[in-house]
Amino acid sequence: MVLKLYAAPQSTASLRVAQVLHEKNVPFEFIPIDLRAKEQKQAQHTEKNPFGQVPYIDDDGFVLYESRAIGRYIALKYAGQGTAGLIPDQSDIKALALFEQAASSEFANFEVHAAKIAYEKLFKVRLGFPTNEEVVKGAIDQLNVKLDVYEGILGKQAYLAGSELTLADLYHIPFGTRLYRAGLGGLIDSRPNVAKWFNSLLARPSWVTIKDGITSTA
Amino acid sequence: MVLTLVGSPISTCTKRVVAVFLEKQVPFKFVPIDFTKGEHKAPAFMEKQPFGQVPYLDDDGYIIYESRAICRYIAEKYADQGTPLFPTDLKAKGLFEQAASIEQSNFDVYASKAAYEAVFKPNLGLVTDKSVVDSLIKQLEQKLDVYEQILSKQKYLAGDELTLADLFHLPYGALLPAVGSNAIQERPNVARWFNSLTERPSWKAVKDGIVVTA
Repeated sequence: MVLKLYAAPQSTASLRVAQVLHEKNVPFEFIPIDLRAKEQKQAQHTEKNPFGQVPYIDDDGFVLYESRAIGRYIALKYAGQGTAGLIPDQSDIKALALFEQAASSEFANFEVHAAKIAYEKLFKVRLGFPTNEEVVKGAIDQLNVKLDVYEGILGKQAYLAGSELTLADLYHIPFGTRLYRAGLGGLIDSRPNVAKWFNSLLARPSWVTIKDGITSTA
Repeated sequence: MVLTLVGSPISTCTKRVVAVFLEKQVPFKFVPIDFTKGEHKAPAFMEKQPFGQVPYLDDDGYIIYESRAICRYIAEKYADQGTPLFPTDLKAKGLFEQAASIEQSNFDVYASKAAYEAVFKPNLGLVTDKSVVDSLIKQLEQKLDVYEQILSKQKYLAGDELTLADLFHLPYGALLPAVGSNAIQERPNVARWFNSLTERPSWKAVKDGIVVTA
């Protein structure tokens, strides 16, 4: 049975999963969830994702939520097809740990701050609420510090976990692109190594295909 | 050569790692860092941990930072000894990753910030913003209501077996009373689950500070 992705066409976490499905050449049926109608809070949805969030997958009866977990599951299940090495092989536990280091950093050092900016400057504005500029400034200050570290790391290696692309790199894309939408692309563009790395991720066919919205491939 | 953990004896993230060392019965050398002297921002330190944070692990010259990554590395490397903390089956791994992601985005996000605001800031001579703490706790409570549901059907967050995902909650979960929140104890299944974690010898050994075994 074809894998089903229950998601919103342009939500950050949904895009994160869709990109991995494309990287691994996994056909999927996209079932759109209407966030404006709060479909994700209805019983039919919360029965599968009790946090009332998107996305979740149904892989022939196996239900999984949390976009980063879904991406990992897909990368492991389809290790033998599509882009190789999105998670390093378990036989190389040092490479695996460097991947985990980068993956942990993605959330704790990048998303935590980038998500605040996206929430204040994009989400709230769309709903007609005022932006808290102090929160935005705090997040920008933090991101500046963190991205300086990224600049150093990416000056020595092509990707965050080493010389090979992994999920840890790809997971930055959804909120990275939100920074540009919020008028803060300079945070990335002003750092040559970070800019080169980020643009290489955006150029990947898997991102180009989904960046304007997710559609079924099966 | 024995594993060396460089961290702070009272740091939440350092405790997270040491608890896993103890679960896996792995001896290690502990090198304490003094925050008050800014040792974590010194060039020699930042050469190993470029974000200037604790802890980091030195395994005979191989350096790993980010506490959850260190925990995963230890659990993988010493899979055959101590408490099993990682499933091997693909679907069980998926459910483990789901639980680990839940811990980061639905628990830590609120609990760690509340701890910073209510507990760490006063230690640094800064003033707590109570409205920030209240808002974070309110959001955390909504998430813990979902935990309550999940834990009514299964023993641990990834299923019926203990995994790293459960243990990751310990350092900030244990600080919630100091933040002024009883949210865990107010929810019977969450309380049952969390108390089973804090009762483990590995947590009892670290909760008041780190001691060395090697």
